[in-house]
Amino acid sequence: MGRLCTLAFTATLALSVSAMSAVAQDSKPIETGTLHGQVHATTGRVSIYKIKGRNVLRLTNFKTSNGPDVHVILIAADDAKDDDNFLKSNVERIELGPLKGNEGDQNYDIPAGTDLSKFRTVAIYCERFNATFGAAPLEKF
Amino acid sequence: MRAFLRGHKIGTAVVSFVLVVALWYLFRPEKLFINKQVNEAAPFAQNDPDQPTYTGTFKAAIHETSGRASVYRNSNGSLSLKLTNFHTSNGPDVHVVLAKSSDPALAKRSPGAALDSLEVAPLRGNEGDQEYTLPSNVDLAQYNTVTIYCERFHAVFGSAMIQPF
Repeated sequence: MGRLCTLAFTATLALSVSAMSAVAQDSKPIETGTLHGQVHATTGRVSIYKIKGRNVLRLTNFKTSNGPDVHVILIAADDAKDDDNFLKSNVERIELGPLKGNEGDQNYDIPAGTDLSKFRTVAIYCERFNATFGAAPLEKF
Repeated sequence: MRAFLRGHKIGTAVVSFVLVVALWYLFRPEKLFINKQVNEAAPFAQNDPDQPTYTGTFKAAIHETSGRASVYRNSNGSLSLKLTNFHTSNGPDVHVVLAKSSDPALAKRSPGAALDSLEVAPLRGNEGDQEYTLPSNVDLAQYNTVTIYCERFHAVFGSAMIQPF
């Protein structure tokens, strides 16, 4: 009985250690990059975190200009130019959602199955005028 | 005739009103002046010592240098500098120092003794992951560039400007 108890205790300990390390891993991004953009003065950091198997994009120290119908998107390119029009240039993109605010920290879920080896740039994109406010090429952390 | 003109005037007024509203809705010019601030919490536990606080990638100067420099704040308040995927050339008396990105001496490959820098430690290896302790009172907003510096020849091997998370 005593041995069984020890076994159970060891198993619990091992479990809690692995759970702790899993939590610790969450706060380390898998990808990160800094935003650039002059026309609409866009600055800050983009980072992608793996949280419980899902990828989450987080903007920090973020600032851009306010505008109509601005979205956060991932594009299948290594970088994007200021004011780039992805509709015209036929760049493949993945919608992450309307921009929640033009200033401050914010999180966006990345759809499951998104191939991050292909979508290498985060863009702040005005859907109404098809213009890039800012973009951040992603780099492995 | 007068009645027709009056009707016409009303028509013009209605049309221009609709036009103004449409243009306003399209461009939303008030957004130029109104900011929308959000402040969402991180999707993980805050104050986790595994959470990097600054990071940047190395750019080569006089020698091929690549990899990432990241700063972590430990639970006791001390700062750790970690180099990952790191590679530079081997050399004599090579040090890890902190310099200022605004320092014109940093842009030169051999800045001589003019480089304004804070010593971190001698470089432990020219390849591989390594960790250094930073002075806990260092101002990383000023000394924001991790620099691989050859003291003997006053040469910058490469540097990484680090920016906050």
